[in-house]
Amino acid sequence: MTTPSDSTDATGGHLGGNPGSGETTLTNLATVREGAPGSATGAALGGLLGATPTAPAPVDTPGTETAAAIRAQRSGIGVSALREDAPAKAMGVYPYAADLWAEGLLWGALARSPYAHARMVSIDTRAALAIPGVYAVLTADDLPPGPDGTPNGAPTGPCIADRPILAAGVVRHHGEPFAAVAADHPDTARLAAASITVEWEPLPALTDPDQAFQAPPLHPDGNIFRQLPIRFGDPEVVGEVVVEGMYQVGRQDPAPIGAEAGLAVPRPDGGVELHVATTDPHGDRDRIASCLGIEPDRVRLVVSGVPGATADRDDLGFQATLALLAARTGHPVKMVLTREESFLSHPHRHPALLRYRHHADAEGRLVKVEAQILLDGGAYADVSSEVLANAAALAAGPYVVPHVFVDAWAVRTNNPPSGRMRGEGALQACFAYESQLDRLAAALDLSPLELRRRNVMATGDLLPTGQAVTCPAPVRELLDAVADEPLPPLPVDRPDAEWLLPEGPGGAGEPAAVRRGIGYAVGMVPMLGVEGSDEVATASVRVTGSQASVICAAVDPGTGFATLAKQIVQEVLGVDDVYIAPVDTDQPASGPSARGRQTWVAGGAIERAALMVRQQLLQPLAARFAMSPELLSIKDGRITSYDGVLGMPVLEALEGKDLWATAQCRPHPTEPLNPETGQGDAFVGLGFCAMRAVVDVDIDLGTVRVVEVTAAQDVGRALNPRQIEARIEAGVTQGLGLALMEDLTVAEGHILAPSLVGYRLPTALDAPDIRVAALIEDRDVVAPFGAKAVGAAPAVVAPAAIAAAVRAATGMPITRLPIPPEDAAV
Amino acid sequence: MLPASLDEAVSAMAESPGAVPVAGGTDLMGAVNAGLLRPMALLGLGRVAELRGWQYQDGAALLGAGLTHARMARPDFAALIPALAEAAATVGPPQVRNVGTLGGNIVSAHPAGDTLPVLAALEATVTLVGPEGGREVAVSHLLTGLDPLRSGELLAYVRVPLLHAPQVFLKSGGRTGPSRAVASVALVLDPARRAVRCAVGAVAPVPLRPLEAEQWVAGCIDWDGERTVDPGVAQAFGEYVASACVPDAGAEAAAARTDAAPTTARLRRTVSVLARRALGRALS
Repeated sequence: MTTPSDSTDATGGHLGGNPGSGETTLTNLATVREGAPGSATGAALGGLLGATPTAPAPVDTPGTETAAAIRAQRSGIGVSALREDAPAKAMGVYPYAADLWAEGLLWGALARSPYAHARMVSIDTRAALAIPGVYAVLTADDLPPGPDGTPNGAPTGPCIADRPILAAGVVRHHGEPFAAVAADHPDTARLAAASITVEWEPLPALTDPDQAFQAPPLHPDGNIFRQLPIRFGDPEVVGEVVVEGMYQVGRQDPAPIGAEAGLAVPRPDGGVELHVATTDPHGDRDRIASCLGIEPDRVRLVVSGVPGATADRDDLGFQATLALLAARTGHPVKMVLTREESFLSHPHRHPALLRYRHHADAEGRLVKVEAQILLDGGAYADVSSEVLANAAALAAGPYVVPHVFVDAWAVRTNNPPSGRMRGEGALQACFAYESQLDRLAAALDLSPLELRRRNVMATGDLLPTGQAVTCPAPVRELLDAVADEPLPPLPVDRPDAEWLLPEGPGGAGEPAAVRRGIGYAVGMVPMLGVEGSDEVATASVRVTGSQASVICAAVDPGTGFATLAKQIVQEVLGVDDVYIAPVDTDQPASGPSARGRQTWVAGGAIERAALMVRQQLLQPLAARFAMSPELLSIKDGRITSYDGVLGMPVLEALEGKDLWATAQCRPHPTEPLNPETGQGDAFVGLGFCAMRAVVDVDIDLGTVRVVEVTAAQDVGRALNPRQIEARIEAGVTQGLGLALMEDLTVAEGHILAPSLVGYRLPTALDAPDIRVAALIEDRDVVAPFGAKAVGAAPAVVAPAAIAAAVRAATGMPITRLPIPPEDAAV
Repeated sequence: MLPASLDEAVSAMAESPGAVPVAGGTDLMGAVNAGLLRPMALLGLGRVAELRGWQYQDGAALLGAGLTHARMARPDFAALIPALAEAAATVGPPQVRNVGTLGGNIVSAHPAGDTLPVLAALEATVTLVGPEGGREVAVSHLLTGLDPLRSGELLAYVRVPLLHAPQVFLKSGGRTGPSRAVASVALVLDPARRAVRCAVGAVAPVPLRPLEAEQWVAGCIDWDGERTVDPGVAQAFGEYVASACVPDAGAEAAAARTDAAPTTARLRRTVSVLARRALGRALS
């Protein structure tokens, strides 16, 4: 069997392994740690896997320098280290949440509403309980009362608690769970869930967000989650050129590769231990405990392998009911959602309706932007208020605009729930303001690139919220970087190469009907939470012998954070063998893996803890050498003085000691936006990205193929360039999905095709060539390492860039995402 | 049950009438795994070697129902029945083409089944084999339910006339990657009978034949000469086919769902473009 560690060693062997410390570090570095996530299976599989990659020591060959060079490339910050979990995922042995098992487990199932809006007149669970093998059937009546004594359980939610975990009396969206079943077989559980008899009284479904303002309230909290005006500058100003547009963004689904799954094990103290693929273990623990009516310390969450997450992943109702079933039955309970249920339950991207009016002077400088933004938040609040703040505050884009007036609303409807998804809020606004810039360029007869160059913001400019952009804002440089890249060759220049037409190989594409278009877009995303949310992470670093361990409750949902954590410790301590402990809620909290915050807060905490350990390690030595610790450096497992005269191996310096340190990272605080004027310093930082998309459009059929996307991104500092490229590729592909095909069709609140046949995701043939023109490393002084989060920005800008390219190819306005073929047909 | 020959398979079907035959299983097993179907038994046809090849018979090809899409997409088969090869090459991703079969595509009769319009345009017939022996049924009769599959019968062969003339299959799925057809058009020339035959798939539960449009365009072609038509004729043919195959959105539909009218307009346009391009390619 060829494992990555074998190949690493082979490289080391061929290119020359250092007979000294080099070879051991190479072997150690490559030691695979698949068992990390997921305790139960992780431990089992970790043992299995631990045995396989133990490679023989490389053959001694001369060439110490080469070996050192290779070593230098393989650890620390700024190198493209191989991802921790890549070998296990490629080999198919990575333990995901759906692989969990416990002795004597029961299977859970949820009964879901067939209506988008209905009253439950009566509910009868006797038929379900009578089925042999059914252990428990829970409805809202069985939920423990809330903290203030409300019956039917405490409502829950990340920002505003307005959502019951099991619907009581009324259901507000298609697929809302109203009962949970535990049985000895998954089919029995599903059958029991289906045999719960409910007398429904269907109510009219509110599915048009425009109607939410007048419609009778769907919930005691009302129909408007939040209204946010932004008043910046003089409302009376009028530009010489005015363009108006109305834009629409569809409902994108995160469509994680693995559907929701989890295992709950009751604890003897009346608590529950949950093994779930969450991205916010501590937040979920607190919310589950409140639903269960017990102290948070009696709920323990163990994070199992996360099969894909673009921000939030698990639906809380799923986790809380799972915990409740385990607590009630006294048995371990496992629940695995079907793909259909997964589409029904987890939050989607906020569909948006945006109306814009841009004023500019005759030279093309922006004078005023007026916008109205309406977000469809679905039936419950979730994070709609935060998404709305992003959309409104970033409504003018990365441009200098002296006067900005925005009115934004997030409203409640009976549509499927909306929530956090990579670039939430920023994406919807980006599509609209970039489309407006294209429209303005056409009105002024300027090139879209030139118009953008005349207006881009730089460090020191003001956002419409009155906040000065203090972080690096290299928007102009990004735009120039993508514009300077050579264009992909035209098919006429390469007659021998096969030309992939918009309808795919063997499809109906006709070369004569294909038009090529080039579009540009720039966009920005906020870093971390906004409006005063307390962003904090805690991490511990320990060094024993030649190994360092990191204990940090930051979940790596596939973003590569664990790899980064390892690189940080390698950089600071010079230890190559770094173990990243699996995450559970017994560790100090690190917050959710969303909003691009883990690199910043958890990465910062790990760095601080590692520096503290370094201090403990060097202090005694410095005293012995009679020099200050700053003059000592750690490299290749050795501590050396600045002049290279004194030194000793790290192992010897440790003297068998066990060094520990725990540190926190809390970025500078932000403040909420003023509810009247929308003014305030709400953002910790901003990240920027520019893209150029090249598309081929079959103008008869309206089918689009994206030929190439070139991206340039403001990364602060590239901590792992290969991972950044992977994030850009992922973001562009997800953005392409939203731009061209991903739309969860909903009619009267019903999801029509909750399957991967009905919901089309981009395939390898749809994905374009993605090139990175530049990663601009302009360090953000307030961020740890000066690095910015990289995941969201490409997903935000790609749809706008593709829409701009389709606009250039067809001359059509393109105001809807995903672009329907009739809009792209001429 | 894994019979090794067609006879064994037929007798096995007779013995257990509840059994469902499965070849590639790309449609059936998905439904079984999702719990939508619980067949009494499955009759695996994977080992019936005689269904996996083809032979020639009286100017026609007798295709085994177990021919996979991947096999039909290969060049030797494409030389024989080009449109069927083109259709097979556009079915799903390679994993599906490697196991999915011609017979399965016919029997599952999905409206967007890619081989169906080709078989309809070729006026193919199928051989159904049951306990009482075999019988020939036109594919269109089988699909429309005029002459359905009887209990205990297996679809064994598909008889396709060999026309030795250009044939085209065009499919629009709305994207570059594999997808279900939004609309597809199969067009074959039959120089011996001086006819053009065309079928439109995916717009209705079964493939549709625009017979009047076929006759009209056959009359416009100079069969003894260059076999070309004016671009205006191709354009008109496209619109003729589209208006024949995509009905106007009824007043009721327009009232019930406001987006029905643009959807119809778009589908018409797609069918019209496909038919125009298909005719252009067949006559070029």
